Amino acid sequence: MLRITGGTVHDPANGVLGVVQDVCIADGRIVPKVEGGRSIDATGMVVFPGGVDVHTHVAGAAMNFARGITPENYRRAIRFIQTPDRRAGLGGITPTTFATGYMYAGMGWTTVNEAAVPILSARHTHEEMHDIPILDKSSLVLMANNEIVLDLLEAGEVERARQVVAWLIWAAKAYGVKAVNPGGIVAWKSGKNAGALSEPVEGYRKVTPGRIISGLAGIIDDLKLPHPLHLHCNNLGIPGNVGTTLETMKVLEGRRAHLAHLQFHAYGGDGWGTLRSEATALAEAFNARTNLTADAGAILFGDAMTVTADGPWEHVLHQLSGRKWSNVDVENETGCGIVPYTYKERSLVNAVQWAVGLELLLLIDDPWRIFLTTDHPNGGGFWRYPELIRLLRDADYRRECLKRLPPKALERMVLPDLDRQYSVSEIAIITSAGPARALGLSRKGHLGVGADADLALYEEKPAAGRMFEYPRYVIKAGEIVVEEGEIRAVTQGREFIARPAFDEQIEAYLRPLFEKVYTMSFDNYAVELERLAQPDIHPCRP
Amino acid sequence: MGGKVTCTLGEVKNRADFIVYWGGNPAECHPRHFSKYTLTQKGRFVPEGRKGRTMVLVDIRETPSGRAADIFLQLRPGKDFEVLTTLRALLKNQKVDEASVAETGLTLAVLQDLVDRMKRARFGVLFFGMGISMTRGKHMNSAAILRLAAELNAFTKFVCMPMRGHGNVTGSDMVLRWTTGYPFGVSMSRGYPRFNPGEFSTVDLLVRGDNDAALILGADPGATMPQPGIDHLARIPTIVLDPKVTHTSRLARVHITTAATGISAPGTVYRMDEVPLPLRPILKSPYPTDADVIQRIRQAVAAKPAWTPAPTARIANA
Repeated sequence: MLRITGGTVHDPANGVLGVVQDVCIADGRIVPKVEGGRSIDATGMVVFPGGVDVHTHVAGAAMNFARGITPENYRRAIRFIQTPDRRAGLGGITPTTFATGYMYAGMGWTTVNEAAVPILSARHTHEEMHDIPILDKSSLVLMANNEIVLDLLEAGEVERARQVVAWLIWAAKAYGVKAVNPGGIVAWKSGKNAGALSEPVEGYRKVTPGRIISGLAGIIDDLKLPHPLHLHCNNLGIPGNVGTTLETMKVLEGRRAHLAHLQFHAYGGDGWGTLRSEATALAEAFNARTNLTADAGAILFGDAMTVTADGPWEHVLHQLSGRKWSNVDVENETGCGIVPYTYKERSLVNAVQWAVGLELLLLIDDPWRIFLTTDHPNGGGFWRYPELIRLLRDADYRRECLKRLPPKALERMVLPDLDRQYSVSEIAIITSAGPARALGLSRKGHLGVGADADLALYEEKPAAGRMFEYPRYVIKAGEIVVEEGEIRAVTQGREFIARPAFDEQIEAYLRPLFEKVYTMSFDNYAVELERLAQPDIHPCRP
Repeated sequence: MGGKVTCTLGEVKNRADFIVYWGGNPAECHPRHFSKYTLTQKGRFVPEGRKGRTMVLVDIRETPSGRAADIFLQLRPGKDFEVLTTLRALLKNQKVDEASVAETGLTLAVLQDLVDRMKRARFGVLFFGMGISMTRGKHMNSAAILRLAAELNAFTKFVCMPMRGHGNVTGSDMVLRWTTGYPFGVSMSRGYPRFNPGEFSTVDLLVRGDNDAALILGADPGATMPQPGIDHLARIPTIVLDPKVTHTSRLARVHITTAATGISAPGTVYRMDEVPLPLRPILKSPYPTDADVIQRIRQAVAAKPAWTPAPTARIANA
């Protein structure tokens, strides 16, 4: 039992915007009142629901591949020395699993959504997530380049595709569906890509990226999954790609969807020399479409690791940057590309990218629909979120930063004209309440009675941007896990998974197809529920 | 240099029409490789199966794998790096000195033909064995063949994969990577992971005699290490967990018999392409599993007082 007294509570989901009130906790949940137990005097602190990361990459085959090819990065990473209660680890741009838990919790974040899991290696992802302490986790499986699903869309068998998608989600013990560069990864397996939404995908006659997007978004809505289609649009990172993004938004009309790392999809121009921000046009279209949510995917100057299922894009980035390139094509399902990258202030392109992320966060007027991410580790490490918050909270600081950019870059952006500053409550929305709602996690992102007792307490500071740098206390499931910047308790979090309804007969249809294209036995494909330490199943009732 | 352009084995089955094995003898070392993944299977985009694929074998001697090959290229021992570098030069239309090519045991015409065939392939694969990774040049050879595959992608689809073996070596590599950041050769002596192949790798520690005890799991270094390393294992307290008697268990102070993983103990094995497979026991064993034994050792160690005061590292943010 725990009582937090005298803090300024920001619980926007329940309409509490900076009110001094007590928060009571018992058995890991928020309760109306408690008798006895420990009390924390939070006078002079703000009380937030624990942070929720709607889009990050922390576990699984791709991250582990990135770790393996960059041992040099760990030489200057934060070290976590083992103690009797705490495993050792290393931070850096691709932290080890234990360090990932300590670093997210150390920043006040308590729930993360791993956004890209191939079903073939989902077992591996769950093994890694088991080794991420403290945090609650969920994961999304990659589906927009699964050839079995695409074949069904080609044949117009949408009902059967829905059954297959539902079966695959449960097989992977995932929470939702991610679509990455729809059709583009299939094409990449023949050395090509998919750009235009209305042109057939390589190897298909009827299926287009647009058809994959609308098909999957519809299936996911019909299956009543808690989180809508999580979409990485076509043409990521390419100058002039805003056209594709706007067209994608039209394709999604009437359906729910979450657009991932929007920053990478908001560029104008027709080449690297003419790249410019199109955040204004994109934000305008986005503001008008309430069926959509998005996360920023902002970049920060410094080292990053680009890791994505978007294989063809990583080959382009390798050719542009000359940095080492890795690629893994995954049979029947997806692919993966990895290139270490450094965003530089003096680079015209990088300067525009930096501005676009902030512009989207400032121009999209409903904070309930745009969330704070860096698409970790693609735009920068998640542990740099406090830097982003400072940029959003302090327009003067933003102007200081703009002075360091190439003057030519300032003509390609609108950031210098934006005066908006995020309020403390708005920060609580874009880091916790909003993403929790978009993920359909009803016990996360708020402090109402019955919510999970995940909280972060920050000291109020006069400098608007600085107070989120590190929390005084972090509470996870009612337990104080971080106090005064130190890990106090290492707990095991839960894993959220979804169980959409499907007809068991679909296995008989899948088995022969599976054995034709895969190299493992069908019976070894699905992850056994017993492999998850603490599963929390969302039933998806229609 | 660095990076790795690869795929899972099903991609080879479904798409590969040009397959090179370099410095390995899969017919004897990975006997199901041809039939399950690479050569004889019919694939989605290779419906003719074996007839739709070309296989090249590159090695320093003829082996039984040669019988499966369409083309066999025999090069002189220790010349892999030179041949790979020549291929990379030819790929970029650079001038190559015929006399220096001759030193490798191959001719310029043969190498030019190989490059042309690789560029013409629809989906090519380079598999490499210990003839690349464990001969003179070691990681430089591996880097050269990985670069060759990456650079071929300017012309067509090409991937590369090491032919890993020795049970679940890939699994050990995977778990070490997510727990410590590094694949092998990790020292925890300062309480956090440090990596330095040559300093902390098993063979180097043993040969120098740096360690004063050894706990050995799922391996038989007594059969494979250089003699000074084996002598050191016999000198120090060596503990072996193994279902059967091995060269190492014979020289160990303690041999704990454990259940055989995959037969009477469950677990996960990672294939050479890093795809995880579940292991389901089919028999019961009277012996404990490796995991049981290690857990009990850990509990016993945890019950002892710490030999150093517990450090309290602060969490640095931003």
